[in-house]
Amino acid sequence: MLSEGPSEINNKRLRYDAFSSEEPLFPGKKQRLPAMGWNSWNAFGSGNTEDLTKEMVHKIKELGLDSYGYSYVVLDDGCYRPVRVDDRLCPDPVKFPSGFKAMADFIHSEGLKFGMYNDIGDRLCSGAEVGIYKHEKIDCNDYINWDIDFIKVDNCYYMWDNATFSNKENARYSFAPNIKSVSIVGRTYNVLEDADITGPCAFVKGDYATFIGTFDGTAPDHSPVGERSSELVFDIEADEPGEYDLTVSYATGKEEGIGCWLQVGVDDEIYFDQMLPETESSESFKDSPAIKVKLVSGINKIRLMNHRRQENTLNSYSEIRKELENISDGRDIVFSICEWGKTQPQNWGHLVGDSWRILNDITFQVGSDGDHGTAAWESDYTTSITSQYNKAVIMDEFSGLDKGWNDPDMLVIGMDGIDENMCSSHMAMWCMMNSPLMLGLDLRRVEKGDWIYNLITNEDLIALDQDPLGIQAKRIYTTIPCSDPSLEYIRDNDRADVLVKPLSDGSIALAFFNLKQSDHDEPITVSVENITDSIGAKMGNSALSDLKNASSFDVKDLFSKSISRVDEKQFTVDHLDPCGCKVFKIIPVL
Amino acid sequence: MTRDAFIKTLCRVFAEDYSEVYRRGIENGWLEQQDREFRSDLLNRRNAARIIHNYLLKEKNIPDLSDISEASELKDLYDCRVCVNHVAQVYLRGIMDSKPLSRDGKYIFFDHERIVTSDEAEVYLNKACQIVSRG
Repeated sequence: MLSEGPSEINNKRLRYDAFSSEEPLFPGKKQRLPAMGWNSWNAFGSGNTEDLTKEMVHKIKELGLDSYGYSYVVLDDGCYRPVRVDDRLCPDPVKFPSGFKAMADFIHSEGLKFGMYNDIGDRLCSGAEVGIYKHEKIDCNDYINWDIDFIKVDNCYYMWDNATFSNKENARYSFAPNIKSVSIVGRTYNVLEDADITGPCAFVKGDYATFIGTFDGTAPDHSPVGERSSELVFDIEADEPGEYDLTVSYATGKEEGIGCWLQVGVDDEIYFDQMLPETESSESFKDSPAIKVKLVSGINKIRLMNHRRQENTLNSYSEIRKELENISDGRDIVFSICEWGKTQPQNWGHLVGDSWRILNDITFQVGSDGDHGTAAWESDYTTSITSQYNKAVIMDEFSGLDKGWNDPDMLVIGMDGIDENMCSSHMAMWCMMNSPLMLGLDLRRVEKGDWIYNLITNEDLIALDQDPLGIQAKRIYTTIPCSDPSLEYIRDNDRADVLVKPLSDGSIALAFFNLKQSDHDEPITVSVENITDSIGAKMGNSALSDLKNASSFDVKDLFSKSISRVDEKQFTVDHLDPCGCKVFKIIPVL
Repeated sequence: MTRDAFIKTLCRVFAEDYSEVYRRGIENGWLEQQDREFRSDLLNRRNAARIIHNYLLKEKNIPDLSDISEASELKDLYDCRVCVNHVAQVYLRGIMDSKPLSRDGKYIFFDHERIVTSDEAEVYLNKACQIVSRG
């Protein structure tokens, strides 16, 4: 029995060891393409109102954006009264005086879909004391009564991790204690001589192991690819099968890297999953109570670990999805996970969500009524187009129709601080990467035929994002030397990238992106062989054969719409503008 | 000090009428419903930053500084996703100060959760008033 902290996890499907399962956790989770629509946050921050939302709906209809696929209208943070009334969520009485059902009815009457926002913690990021924690059932009931079609769920004030606004000491749930040794079968096994560390997170400090847990992925410091967690593993030999007492020499902390929560497993079986008594300091070691484990005769892998950072977050999101599905009677609701990449959701997001944010926000300078807000092409943190792109571009293997989509945050097209070239590349990147396309601008600044309108309604680009094959582009080349452009996390923007993705009609999308803020004048050539080597396995046999055997290709420029015939098996771009791109559809001619 | 005491101080420094300030502030977008509902709660630095920044922006038409990158020297800047811009604007304008994170002062932070004292509020709001006066 747990004395404090997160709940027990009895469903093995929510365990780290089951993250790679392809079996659906929820029957209502459908294969769907990336969501498209408008979200209030980048445009208006916490200042969105009923009147502003209605104006955006009118603009969506006036511009015909819904006919291009932009169908969801999502109220982000700032729409609720900051306290519950009779334990229920209520609209902010000044901003949304007619209430959410009236808002939903209006949006639905315009043929659009209605989305809302909440948070797995006990408050929202804005500070409103209406987080969904411990209110999953009652809130989901209200959401269903309000006829939502989409929900975005944030991660502020989360109780079981050191998330934004959470108690920093919550890290005690997310990391194992420092561990010096284990004793079992009459022998002591030391970390230095007898243990293996899996993954890149943990390391040995002096004579003990520390940072046994999962990297925090909120900031852009770590690659999303590969093992993101660490375990301490001892190979223990037992002469006889049976139950044995294991004791662990440990020291606890309450900070990133050193916690109090320990999980003990033998191979795939978990025997212990709870807090250990605190020690005087993170270097004052003591022995744990005896932990009963079952061993087989021969070698047993004893795993000391803490995967709760990922498991707790998945469990919290699952509680919401479960209630929505229980109450909704089959209503089709997009579930947008927004934990900012903190717990490496690329590993588990497919089990519960339709998309998962991969980093902290793309901008913190959101707009308000009369102020477009500001975005950036590059920054040292997550707050730029390239920061988000640089991580998402190597995450293609985590996404797909049967999983869901990497979400590098909402579009910042139309905000100040970025020019047309940057916005064009931004749109093309998001479409190549099958990202959700959530407009984040005040649509009143858009008129039919202006450059923003032309960009966000570029049907050829949108078709890449919404291609029924649902395969995120793969980076096959970058001008910076690297071992594997599809996997290496590159944050130096002094480069150009080449991405390819197969399309359902047998053609190929090929994109060249110049990340640097100066011209790229070195020609870049990609051969058909480069393409088939990298994505051939994801193409149908017929499409692959056509691509290989074609004697020439029709090449459509998806910005200029010009089509040219290429009679050789390679494609070259001689020049890219600063922050510019070229995007082509390659159609084999047989 | 409480949120309400802070707003009273703001009204005095900027010669705002305190009566119905919550209604006006919420309607004009520089106060939030939480300020009215939690008016008796103690005011922390991040909420002070929000109120001051929004007041300057929406009531006094002082435009935002477009480049806030220098505020990233505050080691806890990104700990507060929804108030990064509020904190950056008041910090870069010299209205609210930083706190040393290390003894040598090499690392600094904003200290979002620390409660604002009456004396500090006077300093912040008078600096904000000077910025408005300079235009």
